[in-house]
Amino acid sequence: MNLTVNGKSLPVASPQDTPLLYVLRDELGIDSPQFGCGLAQCGACSVLVNGQEVRSCVTPASMAVGKEVTTLEGLPARWAAQKHLPQNQANPALHPVQLAWIEQQVPLCGFCQSGMMIKATELLEHKANPTDAEISEAFTTGGVSPRLCRCGTYIAIRDAVRHASKLMAQGEV
Amino acid sequence: MEHFREAYEQMTDVCGARLSRRSFVKTGGALVVGFGVFRGRSAKAAEMIKGDAFDVSLPASWIEIRPDNTVLFRTGKSDFGQGTIYTAYRQIVADELDMPFEAITTVVSADTDTTPEGGGTFGLLGEGTPNIRKAAAYTKQAILQLASERLGVPKDQVRTADGKASGGGKEITYGELVKDQDLKLTIPVSGDLTSIFGLRITGDPPLKPASELNVVGKSFKNSIVSEKVRHDALWVTNVKLPGMLHGRVVHPTTLGSQLVQAGTVDPTKFPNTRVVVKGNLVGVVAPTEWEAIQASYQVAKATKWSDWKGLPGKDNLFASLRNESDWKVAPVQKSRKSKGDVAAGARGAKNKLAATYQLPYWKHAPIGPTMALADYRPDGSVTVHTHTQNAQALRGQLAMMLGTSVDKVTVKTYPGAGHYGRSNGGNAGAEDEAVLLSKEVGKPVRVQWMRDDDMKWSTQSPAAYADVNISLDEHGRIAAYEIDHYQPAMQDDRLIGAVLAGLPTMPAPSEKGGPINNIANGSSDMWLYDAVTNLDERCHGTYQVGQQKSPLAVGLRDHSMRTPGQFQQNFPREMAMNEAAALAGADPLQFRIDHAKDERLLNVLRHLQTEAGWEARKTPKAAASGQATVRGQGMSAMFRSGTYWACACEVSVTPATGVVKVEKYTVVVEPGIVVNPEQLKRQVEGGAVMGISIALYEEVNFNQSAITTANWSSYPIATMADVPDIKIVMLHRPEVGQYGQGSEAANALAASAIASAVFDATGKPMRKMPLRPANVMEMLKA
Repeated sequence: MNLTVNGKSLPVASPQDTPLLYVLRDELGIDSPQFGCGLAQCGACSVLVNGQEVRSCVTPASMAVGKEVTTLEGLPARWAAQKHLPQNQANPALHPVQLAWIEQQVPLCGFCQSGMMIKATELLEHKANPTDAEISEAFTTGGVSPRLCRCGTYIAIRDAVRHASKLMAQGEV
Repeated sequence: MEHFREAYEQMTDVCGARLSRRSFVKTGGALVVGFGVFRGRSAKAAEMIKGDAFDVSLPASWIEIRPDNTVLFRTGKSDFGQGTIYTAYRQIVADELDMPFEAITTVVSADTDTTPEGGGTFGLLGEGTPNIRKAAAYTKQAILQLASERLGVPKDQVRTADGKASGGGKEITYGELVKDQDLKLTIPVSGDLTSIFGLRITGDPPLKPASELNVVGKSFKNSIVSEKVRHDALWVTNVKLPGMLHGRVVHPTTLGSQLVQAGTVDPTKFPNTRVVVKGNLVGVVAPTEWEAIQASYQVAKATKWSDWKGLPGKDNLFASLRNESDWKVAPVQKSRKSKGDVAAGARGAKNKLAATYQLPYWKHAPIGPTMALADYRPDGSVTVHTHTQNAQALRGQLAMMLGTSVDKVTVKTYPGAGHYGRSNGGNAGAEDEAVLLSKEVGKPVRVQWMRDDDMKWSTQSPAAYADVNISLDEHGRIAAYEIDHYQPAMQDDRLIGAVLAGLPTMPAPSEKGGPINNIANGSSDMWLYDAVTNLDERCHGTYQVGQQKSPLAVGLRDHSMRTPGQFQQNFPREMAMNEAAALAGADPLQFRIDHAKDERLLNVLRHLQTEAGWEARKTPKAAASGQATVRGQGMSAMFRSGTYWACACEVSVTPATGVVKVEKYTVVVEPGIVVNPEQLKRQVEGGAVMGISIALYEEVNFNQSAITTANWSSYPIATMADVPDIKIVMLHRPEVGQYGQGSEAANALAASAIASAVFDATGKPMRKMPLRPANVMEMLKA
């Protein structure tokens, strides 16, 4: 099977029912999604599949065939494509979500934050200027489980989503 | 000594450190600050400098000043989300050296082969003088010495600023001072590298006065944050070695089980998987992670363990602790502030509070389970790649397990999932298992625990209870305060894989243990209310629950967790203060002020009054009647590691459902000097959210055999929906002269503040954590 990850079509040798997480991490070397629970309970492994956040730890790789998979590594290029910027301008520039995550100093240990940034990207692509209640909903009830951060960075995440929303509205890269 | 003299032309004493130099090296040059024990052999220290490069095989350099006027420093501490080594440590080094923050370009952390000091990642600010500050202060003295010689003015006439030294009308950068020279400053240390505390720099180099600090006190970004967000940082989970295999461990079904028969794998389904058995340690090793996981499930199903029932079960925990645990085997420890005569104080009391408070077991619960990659070589050496708060202590324990010397063991540390104290004595769980599997199969093996391994087989924060007796006089003041704290041993640093495999480890906690693994319970929560004249605080310790009944001496293994021990002691005290205020008919905040004398504490409490919008009135507000939602306010206070804290919150309680919601939350923190306001704010916010999580949800469940908490469904933690309107008030008081800790304590303030707010709202004391709806409804009925 072939998977399209961060804009590149890649051949995959793993068995088709292997969870996408292990295919990305162990076979393709795309290692921003992390193993947190293997049960779709935390969101550390989140990736975008056709723009929707999914838990790669419980998603068979075959489910992603013919679809666009985006991980943290692919966010700058995703933003560049959305803004019709040449790819070389997108790199090493960052996605506004990443810029906001740095500006707001969100990560403490940071292990969950790849998934958090993926979720924030999904949210902001669907809702450019979410309210606090909508942000909270997206990170808790809006999915198969709440996205968990053990360090308690939820306040910083909320601040950063608002910040990213402004950056995206300004079209800044 | 002879070797030392040969290698260096000149040696100068600099405030108790030794500066040696050899001029005119061919390229580069540096001032390298290493350590030495002065009365010991110096030859090895001299060997450290080979040309102008730091030899990583001799990890003895703390600070290097380089010809381009930049600085590298090394610390044995790692980063667990505090960010301190990338922010505060840079600021401290920059300030002591009179350099800009940006000049401190390189931070080398924690690896046993490249850093000097060892010790655990806790107490990073070292009560104002962490090792790194002293190392920088010694370095500054060497700079003054060198500049004095170069500028031709006495040392006390050399001025330093912005990475430059000046005097006699001339100016020179530090980089120019070290250029083309081979300089080495040897500073004195004491301690044991692989003990939990590591090495400590001794002596008293002059420190920059607090009034002159100008890098400390400002906000700077944390460099590792950017690396993580860009995905440039190398996470431990992403470290790969050539030929690496994936391992999983099949842990016993109970905490006292022994292996009857190990299961096998179906070779047609898992042709490349190998089952490894060593004593009671059962592991599988496979070429791919997914194969290892699937095979481990098959082996687990087919493996037979002996049965064991040596735990009281969660519902009987506190009855069992009180009636069955042996609290006499370890000496009772009294707090230093205990004073007066509580019996005399209690006579003629107008009002008395007698109450028992209980805190359950909690999990450190890292978002990613413990993981380590070990590479055991045929020559008996091993390198372990992991995420530990104490690489040198882990190194010592792995050497003990293998029956080899520490020289054979290297531990390297990478970013990973924070675990809040679990590895401050060395291990988080998977390290030793990875070493044993690697040794067995002769290849590098990466072991990651699955979520349920991490919940069921890791250590936990110990449960505790306390009996409090408070007597109030006719004026509503405390005439006598008595508390007995009961807590099983808190620091079990044994390597669990070694225990299962029957290999050597440090002894299980006992009354014969050393300072770390003794079961005695010490006083950790400094008494705050100095106007109380009759005070008796007693601490009682015992074995871990189930430890003595388990053939493996395992039981519920405990480990320090964020604000360790102090959380367990502060909760009952602060709860009791609220209830005593209620008995006195007083405002709980004013009640504390009336019993306090310490100016810093009073200042924090008065700020809390205004910043939290505290309503000055009696508590409880009114007894709850009916099922409608009611609201209340509560508070708590603490002193920890140089920092004063106070917290107030407002909650709503719905008696019909038992649901408690925290609506507003204020923390006042006064560490003396606020080193980095932006970073401290994020630390305190995180701590506050973790505290709310612990208060509302967290409790380890277990039956008579095993921990039954297995995942995030059975161990719920706070989500974004639980975050209240939160306000962090940082009081910067440079006149205090030093900086206290900031990344702990915030988590421990929440439980008593929230529970006392529920008391305020309902009139029912909440003496048992957590405040899950069923528990709240039960306490409302009482």
